[in-house]
Order: sequence, then structure tokens, then C-alpha cells
Amino acid sequence: MILVAVALAIAAFLAVFLAAPVASVFHAAFASGSGGFTLAHFESFLQISLMRESFWNSLSVAALSAVFASLIAVPLAYFTVRFRFRGALLIQTLGVLPLIMPPFVGAVAMQLLFGRSGSVNLLLNDAFGVAIPFMDGLNGVVFVESLHYFPFILLNLVVSLRNIDGAMEESAQNLGASGWRLFRRIIFPLALPGYVAGASLVFVKVFDDLGTPLVLGTTNMLAPQAYLRITSIGIEDPIGYVISVVMVVFSVAALWASARVLKGRDFATLQRGGASLQRRELMPWQQAAASAWVGLVLLLVLSPHLGILLMSLSRVWSFSVLPEGFTLAHYATVFAQSTGMIVNTLVYCGAAALIDVALGAAIAYLILRTRLPGRRLLDLAASSALAVPGVVLAIGYLRAFRGLELPFLQTAFTASALALVMAYAVRRLPYALRSCMAVLAQLHVSLEEAAENLGASKARTVRRIVVPLMAGGILAGFVTSFITAAVELSATIVLSSSASRAPMSYGIYLYMQSIAGRGPGAALGMIAVVIVGLGTYASHWLLERRSAAEARPIA
Amino acid sequence: MQAVRVEARNLQLSYGATPVLRDITLTVEPGEFFAILGPSGSGKSTLLRLIAGFARHQAGELLVGGKDVTGVVPWKRNVGMVFQNYALWPHMTVARNVAFGLEERRLPREEVRRRTEAALQLVGLDGYGGRRPSQLSGGQQQRVALARTLAIEPQVLLLDEPLSNLDARLRLQMREELLALHRRLGVTTIFVTHDQEEAMTICDRIAVMDHGVIQQVGTPIELFDEPANRFVAGFVGSVNLFEGELRASDVFVSPLLGECRLPAGLATRPLGPACLAFRPHAVRVDAAAAPGGDGLGFDGTIAAASFQGETMRYEVRVGGASVIAEQPHRRGGTGWRDGTPVRLQVAADELRLIAA
Amino acid sequence: MHPKWLVAALALGIVSRPVLADTITVVTSFPSELTNAYKAAYEKKYPNDKVEILNKGTSAGIAYVREQPAGSRAEIFWASAPDAFEVLSSAKLLEKVEVPTQGIPDKIGSYPINDPEGLYRGQALAGYGLMWNTRYLQAHKLPAPKEWVDLVKPVYFGHLATSAPSRSGTTHLTFETILQGEGWDKGWNQIMQIAGNCAAVTERSFGVPDGVQNGQYGIGLVIDFFGLAAKASGFPVEFVYPSMTSIVPANIAAVAGSKSAEGAKRFMQYTLSEEGQQLLLDPKISRLPVLPSTYAKAPAGYPNPFSGTIQAKVNFDTALSESRYYVVSSLFDQVITFRHKELQAATKAIQDAEKRLAGRASPQLDEARKLAWTPPLSAEQARDKELLAVFKAKKGDDAALRRKTQIEEEWSSKAKANYARAVELASAAK
Repeated sequence: MILVAVALAIAAFLAVFLAAPVASVFHAAFASGSGGFTLAHFESFLQISLMRESFWNSLSVAALSAVFASLIAVPLAYFTVRFRFRGALLIQTLGVLPLIMPPFVGAVAMQLLFGRSGSVNLLLNDAFGVAIPFMDGLNGVVFVESLHYFPFILLNLVVSLRNIDGAMEESAQNLGASGWRLFRRIIFPLALPGYVAGASLVFVKVFDDLGTPLVLGTTNMLAPQAYLRITSIGIEDPIGYVISVVMVVFSVAALWASARVLKGRDFATLQRGGASLQRRELMPWQQAAASAWVGLVLLLVLSPHLGILLMSLSRVWSFSVLPEGFTLAHYATVFAQSTGMIVNTLVYCGAAALIDVALGAAIAYLILRTRLPGRRLLDLAASSALAVPGVVLAIGYLRAFRGLELPFLQTAFTASALALVMAYAVRRLPYALRSCMAVLAQLHVSLEEAAENLGASKARTVRRIVVPLMAGGILAGFVTSFITAAVELSATIVLSSSASRAPMSYGIYLYMQSIAGRGPGAALGMIAVVIVGLGTYASHWLLERRSAAEARPIA
Repeated sequence: MQAVRVEARNLQLSYGATPVLRDITLTVEPGEFFAILGPSGSGKSTLLRLIAGFARHQAGELLVGGKDVTGVVPWKRNVGMVFQNYALWPHMTVARNVAFGLEERRLPREEVRRRTEAALQLVGLDGYGGRRPSQLSGGQQQRVALARTLAIEPQVLLLDEPLSNLDARLRLQMREELLALHRRLGVTTIFVTHDQEEAMTICDRIAVMDHGVIQQVGTPIELFDEPANRFVAGFVGSVNLFEGELRASDVFVSPLLGECRLPAGLATRPLGPACLAFRPHAVRVDAAAAPGGDGLGFDGTIAAASFQGETMRYEVRVGGASVIAEQPHRRGGTGWRDGTPVRLQVAADELRLIAA
Repeated sequence: MHPKWLVAALALGIVSRPVLADTITVVTSFPSELTNAYKAAYEKKYPNDKVEILNKGTSAGIAYVREQPAGSRAEIFWASAPDAFEVLSSAKLLEKVEVPTQGIPDKIGSYPINDPEGLYRGQALAGYGLMWNTRYLQAHKLPAPKEWVDLVKPVYFGHLATSAPSRSGTTHLTFETILQGEGWDKGWNQIMQIAGNCAAVTERSFGVPDGVQNGQYGIGLVIDFFGLAAKASGFPVEFVYPSMTSIVPANIAAVAGSKSAEGAKRFMQYTLSEEGQQLLLDPKISRLPVLPSTYAKAPAGYPNPFSGTIQAKVNFDTALSESRYYVVSSLFDQVITFRHKELQAATKAIQDAEKRLAGRASPQLDEARKLAWTPPLSAEQARDKELLAVFKAKKGDDAALRRKTQIEEEWSSKAKANYARAVELASAAK
């Protein structure tokens, strides 16, 4: 039957491009020189002080980033939901801006703005004689990552807060609670699911990030260490695989822990016809203070964007608050040398996104519309890609497919664009899958039954009814896959070698390796930001348009 | 459209260990307007879906037009189904919705257009082809769903609670229209509902279902006058029902009513536990000292009275029991007052003995 | 666009990316300004060839070449550090190529430009020196340095930057030069003091010139072209060659078992030709050509190693460097890179004590100095064949790997203890 064939094809894809590489990484970490099982490599790992240091650094950076991201996001979320705040639209924008700037690109600009002799510290030094080590070592990583990832917490928390029934708050007030106690004892606990979802996501993403620490030159963390060991010491280096295993284990642990916290707490308390939390008026001084806070956050959030923009246009920027002399030469250089990379990005990320929505829609259909045994396993397998850091997947490709040559093309698979496309597709599949499941779940099955009743086979029903009605979600999934693949660097660095076959993110990284390349690198970074920004906008617009044109299916 | 017979023989369906349909046997004659009536959970919708091909029976046969359709996929059965929520596709216009089945049959474009228009005209929606479902009212959506199904000229028309989403007024109107359509087209129609008034008003025959079992099949009058068991008696119309024991062919003893002398010829049942049933409108309420008639008589007191418009409904205390009586209301009549002693009379041919 | 066509077009797009002409793959650690310039110029001259640049750091490049199977390897390996070429040639990964060398001398100073066995050729020359940010020095009122040894002065505390030899072939060369110039003991003493003055030990060699260029650090130890290129790009930086330096060639070699030996030969020849050498003079590249005649076309003031303007006191011994390559790298990492905070603390404590004592002698302070700035490996131990073998052990040799880890841990903990003790003593010194 077609369904079984489709399911098997999907399973094969996941087996080859997700399970096999990860398995080979695990195997390498536990295999002794003669092929048996050994824990010797893990012992060595624990004995090397750099490894222990990297481990604690990765953990603490991820945790601190989650903390600082919370510090930014929680007050903002609260303002939006609680108060009649005139800056609400601004806060919404704040929820999007950081995500369109890839963190490793922004990191470079942040150095210039917040580094030891950066703009901010120069001003501070002149005024107060102090310098704040924003960007020193791990601080820099935490700073950049918090600023980039706080929207995850903000958006999830806002949704959670909005779902709280106002009656919960009123009954607490009736019993005497108010202010901070009310927040701490009633409101925040009820909004916990949203917070935990966002914070755990931030933790995992920061823990796995390779690009930002590498660009900032901080390599005493797990992801950079794995990358450096595999590429410099060699593909046989067992410690690199041990690090990879540790990273996977901790990612899984973090995701599992957050699922445990949320399990069994059904916090959707908002009844039909119930009101959400009271909205209060702000006194003028409160309005001013809130605006000031939002303004400050906005400035911080915009700093990488501003910094990259300035860098892309500056001739010389050294030990000064602002650059001296502006030029368009960097953009000229980029367009002369790197248009190939921009095309590469469009092709690779487009292909990966296509694969993602095709697979995502297929898996969603299998799960929600069939009784195929083992379909839940497909869901689990596809979603497990979330727990595999990009760098680990890429290392897995290097190992599992080493020596594999593509037919007719005389290129090694691991050096080819195909490896990149598959790595992108596999890692983004969970999001596309969620998107497709959400859309398909909203589709009443009677719409398909009516078609079958009128003579359409299952295949025709899928083509004429299911896919068009899922189109909005599919498109949104496509765009999300595309733009996240376009700015990802972890797997890209490991799998890219040749400059002409590389996508934009690698190109930016390469440019940043030389002094004269900073300008063009920033220019290419700006182009990346524009592409991602346009994509995000297009995705929102598409979703708005589709939901306006047709009402929800009558259910 | 040709009219076909639909026959179910000993159909069994279970979901896992839970039986949903137990030994269903019934025949729908060609051209009949047939209802499957039952409370929710009775399995009526499952039976309908089974006929359409969306559920699979584990045993038994299902014949449509003389052919066993067990295992035939839905899209090959040519039975048209109108869904409870209409299932109109929001991304297609009304015309495209209606044309869908015709397009699936690969008919030439001209014929598709012609038949689509004809179907829309049939339901009174010609000119609406260009609109989208979201722009239509509930009643109009229902008609589009109907047109869509009729356009393919199905062998059998299946309607899954089609009127339950409409408001009362529309419901009455649609009932009439459905009936008119059926008379005009003559297609075998199977109509699933939980509303007994609806089923009784428009259908030729009704199958009453409960807990996956067919309780009784018959015309509305048959079901009303000769209910086969307690369930049917209580489900179709209201009834006074008393448990007891048939001691002799003319003696019925009920804890609540005491000993009742039955008219001759009533008891066709074996002796033992039985139920005595009679309809409220069959109960005559007379003054306390009124003479008896054939049938049964009880002395009682008016406990409550409620005015129903066409009738006056009395709850009468008889011994330890409550008997419901309905009297037609005449203009100016005030009815019996609470607490008045009265004599109730039920004619012999209005009495029924059914299984316990 | 019909979805099926879109998919087909994309698929075609992906697989057609690798090209069907004669491809010359170049593994190099050079920055993109240089590689882009050569790629463009070469492809213009030889339109049938396509140049693929694989940008990899030195050690990553070596690992990459080692891991490719024979017959499908890259054509060219092109990097600054000569030891990398020694490593590759002893692993039999290089191929001798006949390329005419008119005009290129055999030696620079007393250092041979080309491999005596002909497996690799010098393509450019590089020296090592000090680069500083003029504004930074001005703002912090620091004097411009001239020699490595200047950098041990307390005034530079926290203003320097260097990279680690394990992460950067060129940094390794820099420190190996100091070791060979000053001898093991004195060399390490100097290195550790300089490292103590450093604000950071960057994990990439590029981190140093980058940091100096954007004003993060004041002075950095860099290869000459970083400093010269930055200055030529208009940045407020200066560069100077200390006398304790050596000029060594940056080499180019053909990889054995590559796909197109002919292509490799053509490319190598181009880089050594007049035209190819002239590309090095571009201000954004600022390298020193090996072809002396090229300097006639250089701008005024361009450093010329053949004219004697660069004092290069050290005669670099590549064999010695290669034999103790991994030991030096590892030692640096264990006592400096990973213990940098502690080393900084010890240095600061000693400098404070010196200021406090204002020249008075103190046995405690002397002891502190010895503890802080002497490596836990003596010159004698560093020559021990067994030790060197352990560090050169291959993967799969689990026993050697474990011994190596053990030794490294010993160094690491010894250094930590030494620094802590040094702080104690220095603080207590009267």
C-alpha cells in the first residue's frame, strides 16, 4: 500500500541521515582500538582538565544565558499582558528582531560596541573611569546569546499569561494577596508552562551553539572543543566523540526535564467566556519607567544590528566610539566575490525546507489520519533531531559517510552540498513537523471523508483537499525551515570546506578571519539579515492572508 | 436516479473489545425514506458510516443494490453522505464544492457544469455558485452539502443528523424541503437522528436502536401503537409504564398500582414479569364518581397540572404511583385543580403488555 | 511553477555545483584576500582550470589531507608554518614537482627557502613581530616596544595578547624562535613573563591582530603581514620586527595522490612566477615575496628581507622544532593557556612586590620569580627520547595516550601549585 511505502521511505531517510550518524558517534566514543566496548575514552575525558572546564563552562553559559534571557523577557511579558501599555507594539517587535540576526554575526559587532575598548567602554571610561567586561571570555558568549534568544521566553510566556483566567487572580486578591506575592504565588506558577518551554529551549540552543563561541574566540566550551578536536586532531580522535555524546546526553536531559516539569499540569485555565488577567492603568511615572526599560532593552537588542550595519559601511573603526569614514566598498566586494554563496544559500536552504515540509506533512498525515502501526515511532524519531546538536550531527556525517563518494560526481559525500542539505533538513524537521501537525489537527476529518464519499481516492483527497487546506501551515513551516537553515553555522562549519560551494553563513565566517575581511563579512551579514527579515515578514503575512481569506473549516 | 435496496445481515462491529453494533439485520426498500433513531451512543452513526465505508464490520454482510460491499473502499461505493457538520471545503467556491464528485468521475466539463447548476437549482441555490461557504448561512450551507451529494446521483442518500445544527424554525422548514426532494427524486434515503419527532414526521419506516442493537423496525404508527419493548415504548412518544407480574391471563399485579383486572384478550404474553403500558393521551380524566368503562380504571388525586397549549397535562397520584394524563384543551376550559379526586379511565385497546 | 519542476531544478542545482572542468583544490590557511586574489588571477590566465579553495587552519589542514584517500586528495597544500610541511612530508603525503625556479635564491639568511628533497617550495617569506594600536598606547601612555624582551616590563601588564602554539602554527613558530634564540630556560622564562603580562591567550592566531586592530588589546605577537596589511588598510596600527626573529618561508607543495598532478604543477608554477609573486605586494595582503626582483615594484618602505633591513638573528632549526613540536605545544597549554588566570595573578603579585620593595633584594621574591616563570620541564627532560615518543604517539595507542594525559596533568597541577605559591611568597616579600 502507498501508505506503507511512504512510511518506510520516511523511516529510511531518518535512519540514514539521523540515526546512522548519531550511532556512529556513540560507537566511536565507546569503541576501543580493537573494536570492543570501553569506557577508557570517557575516563580520559574526565581526566583532561580542559574537558572538565569546557563541560562546566558550557553548562554555566547555557544556564546563565537562560537566566539573563529571563531577566529581559519576564518583565517585558508582564508589561504586555498586565498593563495598558502604549509600547505594546514595540514589545511585539522586540520579540522578532533578535531572531533575524544570526548570533555569530552579531557577536562580532558586539565586540566593537561592548568590548574592552569598545564604544560603550570608551564612553564609560571617559565619563566614570570604569570599564565593564561585557565581552570578556564567557561573559561575551552569555551576553550575545541572552540577547539573541530571549524572544523564545518572551513569546511563550506572553501566551501562557494570556491564558490565565482572571478569576484566579481575583480570588487570590479576594483572599488578601497582591503585588509581588500575587505574582510569585499565583500568576507565575500558572504561567510556568510557557516559561519552562521557553527557558529550556534557550538552554539547549545555547548549550549546542558552535558559531558564537568560535567567532568570539572562546573555545573552552564543549561545542568548539568537539569541532576543534575532530578537525585538527583528526577524525579518529575519540575525545571528540566523547564530547559529542556528552552534548547529546545533556540536551536530551534538559528536554526531558522540562517535559517532566510540565507533565500533568494542565494549566489552560481560561474558561469559555472567561476574562484574562485584569489590565491595569499605569500611573505616569510608571509609564515612564516602563518605557525607559523597554527603550533600554530595545537599544540593547538593536545593538548587534546597528553594529553590523556600521561595520559594513565603515572604513576604519578602531579604539573609537564610532567608525571614521564610510564607504560602500565592502558591499561592492561582496557582490563581486560572494554572489555564488548567496545563491548557494538559497538553493541549499530551499531544498532542505522542501524536504522538511514534504516529510513533515507526510508524517503528520500518517500520525493523525492512519492507524499504521509504529507511526508514533516515526514522530519520535523525527522529533529526536531536536536533541542532537548541529555540530554532533555533522561530526556523525563525517564519520559515518567517510570515504563515500557520490556516483558520477567524483566528490565525497561529506564534501558535497548534499551533506549540508540533509543536515539542515534533519535538524529542522521537528519544527516543520510540529507546524504541519498543528495545522492538520485543526482540519476536521469529515472534510476528507466527504471527498472520499464523493469518489476521490485517498491520494486524490490528499492532493485536492488536505494539502490546499494545510497550505498556510506548510508555507509557514517552509519559511521557518529556510530562514533558520540560512543562518545556522554549527553544522555548516564542520561540513563546509570549499569556499565556492559554501553557503552564506560559512562565507561570513571566512570573511571574519582576516582584518580586511571584517567589512565585507559585515556586509554579507547584513544581506543575511535582510533575507531572514524578509522571510519572517513573508511568513507572517502569508499566515494572516490565508486565515482571512477562508474562515476556519466549519467544525 | 435509480432506487436500490440496502440490506444489512447480521452485522457485527466492535472497537477493540467494545462491541458497537450487535447482529444488525435490516432491509431498506428501494425508494424508502428510512430513519435510524436512537440516543447518542446507540451506534446509529456508526451504522451509517459503515454503509458509507468509513467503518468496517467484523462479521455479517452489507448489500447495496444486491451487491455485497464489504471491503469496498468509500470512493467506490457511490453512496452519497451528507455530514452533520456539512464538511464544505473552505478553499473552494460553492460551485467547485458541488462539482467535486463529478470531477472525480472525470466527466466532460460541459456536463459537470450542467449537472452542478441543476443540483444547485434543486436545492434552491442557483446563482450562489460563486460564493464561498464562509459567506453562507447555516441553512444554505446544508443545502450546498445536499446539492454536492445529489449531483453525483448516488444509489443511496445517507444523512447524518442533518438538521441538528439548525435552529428550530429552520429545522421545520428543512424537514419539509427534504421530504419534497425525496418525493421528487425517489432515491433510497437513510436518515440518522436522535429526535423521534423528526423521524416520525417525515420517514416511511424507522429502525429504533439502542446499545448497538435494533430494538424495533416499523412505520411510525406501528412503533407508536405497538412498541416491542420498554425502550421503544419510552423513546417514541411518552408513556406510562408500570412494572409488575402477570399472575393470570387477566390479572396483573404491580407494586405501585396494585391488582389490575385486564380486559380479555390483552395478555398474549406468557405469565411472569411484564410491563403495563398506556399513553398519556389515552387516559381519560373524569370526576371521581364517574362510571367505569371497558379497560382499566383508577382512582386518584390531581398532583400537578401544566398547560401545554393544545393539551392539559396532569400528574395524577394513584396509590403509590404517578400517572400522566393528557386532555385536549378546549377554549375556556380551566382543567382540574390540584388536589381534586378524579377517576382515570384507559380504554382496553389502548393498553399494552410488553416485556419487562 | 509546477512543484515537480521546482524539485527537479533544485536537485539539478545541488548536484551540478561541483564543476566538470579541471579542478585544482588548494588546502590553505591563508586569508581570503590572498586566496581570492590568486584564484582570480590564475583563472584568468588559465581559463580551463577551476581553483577550489579549502580554507583550513594549519592543523585542520594537515588532518584533512591525512584523512583523504589516495587518488582523490587535494592538489595543493599552502601554509605559513614550515613544520606543517615536515609533518606532511614525513607522512609521505607530498610529491616532488619539477618547477623552474629562475631568480629565487636558495636561502634567506642561512635558512633554506626550499626543501632540500624538493617536496615543498618557499612561496613567500614571513617574519614575526610586534603589532600595536597607536591609539591604545597613546590612551594608556605606553611606550612602543622594540624587542620581545621589552614586553616583560610591568608597564605592559594586561595590555598584551598572544595566541597558543597548539592552536596556531605561526604562534608555535614565534615561540620556538624565542626558545631557539634565547635557549630553553631563558626562552621559557621570557615567554612566561610575557604571557603573564597578556590580557588573553587567544585560541586562534587571528584573534591577536584582530584584537589589536579594533583596539581591544594594545600590543600583540603577530606574523608580519597581519600588521602590515592592517596598517595598509588604514588602521591606526604599527608593526616592528624585533631582532630576535627569523624569516622563514611560507611554503607551497603538491600533495601526493591528488586528482590532477598536472593542475598542481601549473598552480605551483604560477605562484612562483613573477606575476604570481607580485600579487603578494597588494597592501591588503602584504607578504614578502621570495623572488627578489619583485621588490623593485614594491612601494617605498616595504620591508625587504634580502636587503638586510630586517635583522634576523635566529637561525631556525626546523628539525629541532619538529622533534619537540607536540611537547612545546602541550607544555605551553598546560602551564600557560589553561592556567592563564593563575599566571596573571602570580605576575601581578610579583610586579606589585617589586614596586613595593623598590629594588631591594628579597630571597622570597627571587623564589617567587623562579616558581612563576620556570616551566616544570627542564631542557634536559625536553630532549628525552621516550618523552618525545609519547607525545608523538598515534591514535589507537591507548597506553601512550594515557601516559600523555598523565604527564599533562602533572604539568598542569604543578604549574597551578607553583603560581599559588609564588603569589604567597611575593605578597609576603619584604
